[in-house]
Amino acid sequence: MNTCTPATRVYRPGTERALGLLGGGLPLLALALFFVYPLLSIGWRSFTVDGAGGPTLANYLRLWSEPGIARAAWHSLTMSGTVTVLALAAGLLLAMLFKRSRVRGRRLMFAVLMLPMLAPSLMQGLGLLFLLGRNGLVHRWTGLDTDIYGFWGLVAANAIYALPQATLIIAAALERTDHRHYDAALTMGASPWRQFLDITLAQSRYGLLAAVFVVFSVTITDFGNAIVLGGPYRVLANEVYDQVAGQMDINMGAAVGMLLLLPALASLLVERSALRRAGTGSEHARPADVRPGRGRDLGLGLGSVVVLAPVLAVFATVVYASLVKLWPYRLELTLAHYHTDLPDGYTPIFTSLKLALLTALAGTVLVFALTLLVRRARPSLARGLHVMATLPAAVPGLVIGIAYLMSFNTGPLADMLYGSLFLMAACNLYHYHAQSYLMLATGMRAVPGALEDAVTCLGGGLLRRLRDVVLPFTAPTVASVFFFLFMQSMVTLSAVVFLVTPELNLASVAVMQLDANGFVSQAAAYATCIVASVAAAALAMRVCATLLARHFQRRTPDVA
Amino acid sequence: MRVLTRVAIALVLGLFVGVHACAGTITVYTALENDEVSLYLAAAHKALPDVHVRVLRLSTGDLAARLVAEAGHPRNDVVWGEALTDMLDPRIAGQLQPLHLANVAHFPSRFRDPAGRWFAPTGYVSALCVNTPALAAAHLPMPHSWRDLTKPIYKGQVVMPDPQSSGTGYMMIAGILHGLGQARGWALLKALSGNVAQYTASGSRPCKLARTGEYPIGVSFAFVAMQAIKQGFPVQMVIPSDHVGYELEASGLMKGARNAADARRFLAWTASSQAAALYRHYKSIVAVSAAPSAGEIHDGLPAHLMQHLEPIDFAASARQRAAVIERWKRDVGH
Repeated sequence: MNTCTPATRVYRPGTERALGLLGGGLPLLALALFFVYPLLSIGWRSFTVDGAGGPTLANYLRLWSEPGIARAAWHSLTMSGTVTVLALAAGLLLAMLFKRSRVRGRRLMFAVLMLPMLAPSLMQGLGLLFLLGRNGLVHRWTGLDTDIYGFWGLVAANAIYALPQATLIIAAALERTDHRHYDAALTMGASPWRQFLDITLAQSRYGLLAAVFVVFSVTITDFGNAIVLGGPYRVLANEVYDQVAGQMDINMGAAVGMLLLLPALASLLVERSALRRAGTGSEHARPADVRPGRGRDLGLGLGSVVVLAPVLAVFATVVYASLVKLWPYRLELTLAHYHTDLPDGYTPIFTSLKLALLTALAGTVLVFALTLLVRRARPSLARGLHVMATLPAAVPGLVIGIAYLMSFNTGPLADMLYGSLFLMAACNLYHYHAQSYLMLATGMRAVPGALEDAVTCLGGGLLRRLRDVVLPFTAPTVASVFFFLFMQSMVTLSAVVFLVTPELNLASVAVMQLDANGFVSQAAAYATCIVASVAAAALAMRVCATLLARHFQRRTPDVA
Repeated sequence: MRVLTRVAIALVLGLFVGVHACAGTITVYTALENDEVSLYLAAAHKALPDVHVRVLRLSTGDLAARLVAEAGHPRNDVVWGEALTDMLDPRIAGQLQPLHLANVAHFPSRFRDPAGRWFAPTGYVSALCVNTPALAAAHLPMPHSWRDLTKPIYKGQVVMPDPQSSGTGYMMIAGILHGLGQARGWALLKALSGNVAQYTASGSRPCKLARTGEYPIGVSFAFVAMQAIKQGFPVQMVIPSDHVGYELEASGLMKGARNAADARRFLAWTASSQAAALYRHYKSIVAVSAAPSAGEIHDGLPAHLMQHLEPIDFAASARQRAAVIERWKRDVGH
């Protein structure tokens, strides 16, 4: 691979080695401590029963004889499959819109797409209910007998939730497809449709498969929507919740959680055989120019509006409901619900902002280092790491939360970690590790290996390679990962709810408490405030990043 | 450089490592609602100005799961207002230490444990939330009892909490089984289930669905029904006239309490008559003053509520829960 003998080294080898060790060791250590260890300890619980020593298969045997479990498993699979098909098609459409079209108003559409990511998940459920429930807006306006509870309600809510994640991963794959492919296709007279099939789709299949995995996994493990909109349509996630929160049977809940890992493991095997080491990017690759194309833009634009309009409608309904006196009976406008009854008022939003920033900063660095490590590692090691890095998507948040609580409540690290913001950040990072890792791994495939080798030949060290080759090619994806982690940490609930303490209450938990205590309009108002603050924070950070980038561009001469 | 790194590490650790309890501070886990907790704590602070109460508020199920998961190293001094059926689970009850408070001694016997591990100053009863416009739109008569709800006219119009995940769901079933006996009880539950449109994960959700008119009838508990009426929803509360289930909200002192003295003082306050006067704002069942207030009677709470309640043996009810849920899943549930 590397045919040159390195010339004089610019960096001291000691520093270089230390840096390499740290960059490789730290993410591995973190992955082992904050994902593998809790997963193993909760996995172990599934082989035990309370009050009896020794490992046993009793929980799994009970699961096997449980009356509703086979049906719930079937429901989980069909529902998640449907969501995957829908979210993937819509995500591809939107990714094409953002990366391969000149449609106007793309920024606005991007903002709408991000809504499900910056809002607590309660908002989707509530919005769909207010809109399409039996006494929802649509029913009240048209008199139609709407009934959202069940299969289609679940599909709608989960598809809305998964859509931005699918789009971000596919967009990372579309970030750079070598423009020369398109030039060649044009010379040969291939139609745009042919080009789409043979170049765009073929070149982004890694990202597409990653998106399939993520959408399927987050859908099958989600229980927030299942509880609000599932109605009589019970899925496996209901079972986990019932066992843990309803009957305090953590061992049985763990067993169902382990069951949920199976489809993920299976799909990781399929993915592996489908992607026998596709090559890396080429050093001559340039992002494909977006040529003018009115037909294409019209199609993509209209399609995206059709996809995004329901998303916007769902969230707008919740905001509207937070502004009326008594939904749905007295629709006079009021700000009364923004005056919250919570004892600690809006301070949880600031705690959450702190947590989100910590998660996003540490998380982006760790995931980046891990992705780099996987890229350079031996195939066998890389494969193992890849599985470990993507497995978190298949673990229900509730199971992660309980696993963290039990793993870090006792033991040598407990005194340092229990009740700390740091532990919550770790929990959030590893809850959303798969998405971040897959986004970066997809983006990293565009980095030309040959250029990296060239830098090494010229005596450049790791830092040089990062600065001159890897980062310029992956910067947009790195930013996506940062904002993804930031937003998810602001709104996630299912895992961190087990880690909150009297001092560290989070915004998403506050929303849940308001809703659970019957102050639904206040919950909607609080959620709206969260959306506003996440959007404001994200915007501020974007502006900072742009300014910084400009600053550096002026100072460093263009390498390319 | 090295010094700087050390300082930075120390700073980061200092920022993110949790604060440790100091003298006069107690940690309380509670399943009571936020707004009532604020009211009680303000009053408790006046009575015990030197005690700082750290409160963690969780839903009944999450709190029980947390107590079980933290059993290896409990982090709280007090459990305050957790559903008694959960509290009696050996994995939680085993973590409590006996406590004999003067204030509790004069509670009626069903509100305290003879062994002193728990006492319950308050409780709540099953109640129907009936949305009157939705009921009228579906041309249905007002239901008054569980038996009424088994009539075919209510098919698809009733929402109930799922006993697999909700203590409220289980308490309703326990009340019916206790009152009617096994055979007739299960028959009634089966007939009732035929009319249920959906089972919800939480106990307050049926009432929330009913109050916005999603369904005409939601089976919940009195607290949420009265809250819906207070907030202005067109809801009427009905306490079923036959075999109404109820749950007690129990408190106790943890075995490993780090500040047992102050924890004891706080618990004694929650059992005081001063606290009982406040409970009346929220609770349908108060141990020391059994009669409901005029406002509550106006909202639909029977004047002689205590006579209506089945003498439920909570210890037995907690023991049988797994078996009852098992049977419910096989014979009744969707």
